[in-house]
Amino acid sequence: MKKNWKHKAYAIASALTVGAMMMGGVGQAFAKTNVVKHSVKHASGPVVHLQETGSTLLWPLFQLWVPVYKHVNSKVDLTTAGTGSGVGISQASDGTVQIGASDAYMSNRLLSQHPGMLNIPMAISAQQIMYNIPGVKKGVHLHLTGNVIAQIYLGKIRYWNAPQIQSLNKGVKLPHWMIVPIHRTDGSGDTFLFTQFMTDTNAAWSNSVQYGTSVSWPAIKGALGANGNNGVVALASKTPGSIAYVGISWLNNGLSEGLGEAALQNRAGRYLLPNPGTIAAAANMMIGKTPADERTSLIYAPGANSYPIINYEYAIINEKQANPATATAVKNLLLWAISPQGGNKAVFMDKVHFLPLPASIAPLSRKQIAKIHG
Amino acid sequence: MKRERFLSLIFRVTTGVMASSPFLILLFILIVLVRDAIPAIRYQGSSFFTGVTWNMGNMYANNPIVHNGVQAAPGASFGILPFIMGTLGSSLIALLIGVPFALMTAFALVYKVPKPIQRVLSPMVELLAGIPSVVYGLWGVESLSPFIEFKLGPLLTRLGHAVPFLAGPVGTGFGLLTSGLVLAVMIIPIITATTRDLLMQVPTLSLEGAHALGLTSFESVRFVAYPWVKRGIFGAIVLGLGRALGETMAVLMVSGDAANYLPYNLYSPISTMASTIAALLDSALTDFTGMSVHALAFIALTLLVITVITNLIARLLVSMGRQNVHVEM
Amino acid sequence: MHGSTTMRGYSRKIASNMTWMLSLGALLLVVIVVLDILITVVRQGAGGISLSLFTTQTTGIAGGLQNAILGTLDLIFFSTLFAGPVGIMGGIYLAVFAPDRIARTLRFVAEVLAGIPSIVIGYFGYTMMVQAFGWGFSVLAGSISLSILTLPYIVRTTEASIRQVPKSYYEGALALGLTPFSALRTVVMRPATPGIVTGLLLAISIGLGETAPLIYTAGWSNFNPTLHLTKNPIGYLTYVVWTYLNEPYSSAHRLAYTAALLLIILVVILHLLARFLQPRVKG
Repeated sequence: MKKNWKHKAYAIASALTVGAMMMGGVGQAFAKTNVVKHSVKHASGPVVHLQETGSTLLWPLFQLWVPVYKHVNSKVDLTTAGTGSGVGISQASDGTVQIGASDAYMSNRLLSQHPGMLNIPMAISAQQIMYNIPGVKKGVHLHLTGNVIAQIYLGKIRYWNAPQIQSLNKGVKLPHWMIVPIHRTDGSGDTFLFTQFMTDTNAAWSNSVQYGTSVSWPAIKGALGANGNNGVVALASKTPGSIAYVGISWLNNGLSEGLGEAALQNRAGRYLLPNPGTIAAAANMMIGKTPADERTSLIYAPGANSYPIINYEYAIINEKQANPATATAVKNLLLWAISPQGGNKAVFMDKVHFLPLPASIAPLSRKQIAKIHG
Repeated sequence: MKRERFLSLIFRVTTGVMASSPFLILLFILIVLVRDAIPAIRYQGSSFFTGVTWNMGNMYANNPIVHNGVQAAPGASFGILPFIMGTLGSSLIALLIGVPFALMTAFALVYKVPKPIQRVLSPMVELLAGIPSVVYGLWGVESLSPFIEFKLGPLLTRLGHAVPFLAGPVGTGFGLLTSGLVLAVMIIPIITATTRDLLMQVPTLSLEGAHALGLTSFESVRFVAYPWVKRGIFGAIVLGLGRALGETMAVLMVSGDAANYLPYNLYSPISTMASTIAALLDSALTDFTGMSVHALAFIALTLLVITVITNLIARLLVSMGRQNVHVEM
Repeated sequence: MHGSTTMRGYSRKIASNMTWMLSLGALLLVVIVVLDILITVVRQGAGGISLSLFTTQTTGIAGGLQNAILGTLDLIFFSTLFAGPVGIMGGIYLAVFAPDRIARTLRFVAEVLAGIPSIVIGYFGYTMMVQAFGWGFSVLAGSISLSILTLPYIVRTTEASIRQVPKSYYEGALALGLTPFSALRTVVMRPATPGIVTGLLLAISIGLGETAPLIYTAGWSNFNPTLHLTKNPIGYLTYVVWTYLNEPYSSAHRLAYTAALLLIILVVILHLLARFLQPRVKG
């Protein structure tokens, strides 16, 4: 009997070891077959793995791009991840990924620490303010100003029927419901855009919180944090009384989850929703001041028809890539992405409510892309 | 024969080196953490533990500020009291709920459940210990937080008149109570399994003797079996506490990610020290002065020190418990 | 029965019974929680189990989990490769060679290492392996982080299983003229093997379920593991549970639950195997 279990134990032990070895090996073998498969299809050169991470605002667009780009260039395997613009910036600078996606451009100081980093606009995007207020009918767009939103996020306005909000919305019956401000926990380009807008519209904000991809949020009881635009939408939809800033590629998702969308007061005093017309109007006012390195804010544009929160969607790239093959793959992908016949096509842009890169800006981006080398 | 002896020596030395590898690794980790944390210690000092504001500073400023010889982004201030309170609060709830449940479960498993059922339930408890923490997080998001938001929370708020900490608002179901309960479920198997094993060691003879002396069956467990295994159980509880204090993912998924405020009621959103490191490391890396990363390293170092202390206590208790058993036997 | 004739005896008896009722209630609640966890995961995850789950890679929101499954196996393979031999040899030293005081100290150190929050190891892995050593997000950084976590368990179980082998076996072998080395190999290690394997299995199940140390060391990839040990990020199942759950797509949700189900199934299998070995060690 005793011998029996010993044998059994041995059998199991060795079977497991062999099994583990095989399983470990299988992964490698699969990788091999994939490589072989692709290289058969395209006789020249091996498959290049590219890693994209960052902005959750840009991520839905990448999700649309990936399957299409597979047909454009089957030799590139592209992994995308919506992790927040902060991750996009830091991991691209670190060299742990090739492509960082960000709604925010890099700061001067960070750029001087990583001098080879490029901030390449690929499209124009916007951000809307969304809310979940019990009793407010669907389709009603609350009027909000940057100043009022700032006071909400500063904890100065705590209830939805506060006079400051009610006076902007005469026809709407607002409930006496506690406001739950939702912010992003991850380093976020959306936070960057939102806090820039707050800084432009509220003096107290510009003196205290200021702007950045991650800021120190004023202490408000019950205020919540969430990870990514996806997390924000999910949390806002299950939190009555909440208000949140959401990237426009998540607008459809937010609306279908039952969130309301605010009409924001622009610099000219008009209340507007983000749509191709108001985003383009704002872009027209702002893009003229785009410098050669393309790092510029498009927030709070002048003009009667300008929506106040728009921005460039950046690819954050190190101009020195690991090897020439990777550099070429990154270049080709970016050139395709900003091309009106490629990634900037209306079929992609319309789904995420982005605007294609303006014709006057595309040459600047192409010039930066040309700097990428192996 | 000489070769044999030489081989033995080699083997002995090799295994010795391998055995000391946990020590070397621990030392390496400690050195790295101390090195990374020093700038934050110099910048923030003891207010690190008492401040309520975590502010990585204005990362888009053009010039850093210098304080005590180290650079940080303007406005940077690293107070982790809310994370400490979140960590302690959720772990306290985990102990308050988890320990009685774990002990009673073990008592029931050992003394009251028929053997065949015990054989089914016992591994089930161990399975709880093996479930990945993200799965606990998933369960917390999907099942527990709605339960707290709509059932348990509203029920508990009725006691709010008597105990203000129980008063509403309940909020979203993400926060202190949910985190504490998820942690409770996570530490129950640790404590239950140890208690069960210890109780199995108690000689049945002494229990029968106690019964013969007129003690009720629970009294004999309470006054005979329990003292026998008490210290071992304490050790297991402290180990469970260690797990609760350091849990990252499950808490991150259900904590609500509170920023810059202390828990104000039982349902308040919180952040814990471990979950903060996971949540903020990436944004800290965009701090051009690097100070935010140093501050996170300081949190990591603090957690490491807490781990050493809890393990010291647990070890002390367990070894004293063992000695007890040995003496009696 | 004894003393139950008095009122006091009655109330004590009632108190005793009520406490037992409470205990059974506690047990029942724990069982309910386990079932709730299992049901939550199975209900939404079982539908996702299909052949294509294992044969296709994820697209980010849909597709299969091949990359994550293979990545998890890859990480486990390498972490066991690193931690296994080191841990087993370390355990042998503690059980056989180490002087008492050294053994006690090293055991304590191993316990502390086991108690370190996994995110601290993640931080360490990121600053040292990913950044300072320049490995980037990789199998190597991820599996070494995992092996740091599992090493103490392997040391502990190896030591315990060797200690369960009666000293007389070893002494008898010596008396028969075997050298200490071959005595150890033949009469001590063989009976201890099932216990050591059990420890390895439990260590694997711990590594399998970790997330925090991998986020910043293994990264994530939508594609199957490559042959490169460094610079190539790798996918793993726990990442899917953690991130896909947050996605607003039902396909991503299903993948998160399916990944959770796979993890539970793997843990159950490992526990069953470990259980199958364990009683025989004691008996």
